[in-house]
Amino acid sequence: MTGPLYLNEVISVHTSLFVAIGIGVLFGFVLERAGFGDSRNLTSIFYFRDMRVLRVMFSALVTAMLGLVILNRLGLFDYSLLLDYSLLKTYFWPQLVGGVLFGLGFVVGGYCPGTAVVGVASGKIDSIVFLIGMIVGIDIFALGMPLWGAFYKSSDMGRITLWQYFGTSMETMAEIITIAALGAFVMAWLAEKWAPYDK
Amino acid sequence: MNAPDYTKGYWNPFLAGIALGLVLLLTFYIMGTGLGASGAVARTAAVLSHVAAPQAVEHNLYFNGFYKSGANYPLIDWMVFEVIGVFFGGLIGVITAKRFKLSVGKGATFPVSARLLLAFVGGVVGGIGTRFAMGCTSGQALSGGATMVVGSWVFMMTVFATAFVAAYFVRKEWQ
Repeated sequence: MTGPLYLNEVISVHTSLFVAIGIGVLFGFVLERAGFGDSRNLTSIFYFRDMRVLRVMFSALVTAMLGLVILNRLGLFDYSLLLDYSLLKTYFWPQLVGGVLFGLGFVVGGYCPGTAVVGVASGKIDSIVFLIGMIVGIDIFALGMPLWGAFYKSSDMGRITLWQYFGTSMETMAEIITIAALGAFVMAWLAEKWAPYDK
Repeated sequence: MNAPDYTKGYWNPFLAGIALGLVLLLTFYIMGTGLGASGAVARTAAVLSHVAAPQAVEHNLYFNGFYKSGANYPLIDWMVFEVIGVFFGGLIGVITAKRFKLSVGKGATFPVSARLLLAFVGGVVGGIGTRFAMGCTSGQALSGGATMVVGSWVFMMTVFATAFVAAYFVRKEWQ
């Protein structure tokens, strides 16, 4: 069957909600086994103590990226549906500002949203407090919409990928990212040897 | 230096990453979209606020998107169900590894009260960040990253650059 199954109407909305729980269970289990239920394992990357976050994230990203490119090549996955309907849209400046705020929140708060949920399952009190903070933050964002609503929807670039932006092919871009990830793994290994905060 | 206890007993990070990547690949194959998390927190915020001030939430320029006429209740949503799954998946992981423990993750000598205050502040700031970015580490960095979306890579690079710099100022929190 050619994916994506949901966009190809192979499965219904109703079925997709059951799928959601199953996918979530797998996601949560793997995050736990990666060590991401504990804020110390998530923040040690920023002190070059343990670059686990980088290794997990980039190997996950490359696995899924190459998987999709290969399935598309084999005719088992229709990438064009993503490009037309479901790919995340790019809003350049809001996403850059969002990245700055999120980066601050990550290192100060110790979690990101998904890992905080695993933190709660692990009995981590700081993760519960982090999620309460997030809810308050989202309320603040909602209340401030009259102030920053225009900015929030600005610099809309639509559904655009790196290969389209740089004028290359999907396969070439995937190769470049794979090589960059391998380079990042070497850098991570060197950074742990450096460990500037633990001298 | 010996590795501290909290780093022990987990999978090799590359294997965990490949497993995570296969879950993400399966998600794209079935749904055509990736994983997510912050959207579910946003819907929770909308529903909780709706209890306190229904009119204000339904007319709010952000929350009104969850309360369109004819739409499902905001929590009947793919990502909300997925995040409920994440909780139970995490719980299965914690229980089978015998790792459940009520505790606070922080640097050894950092006070608990200060750590909880910073967890709250980080949550607030990060929460605002997820709305401007329209996603978080799961939806933008991982799922958008794997589909090579321009904005997701901008987000991911900005997150890490900011956090590496900001880390210096909160180093005692994690020392």
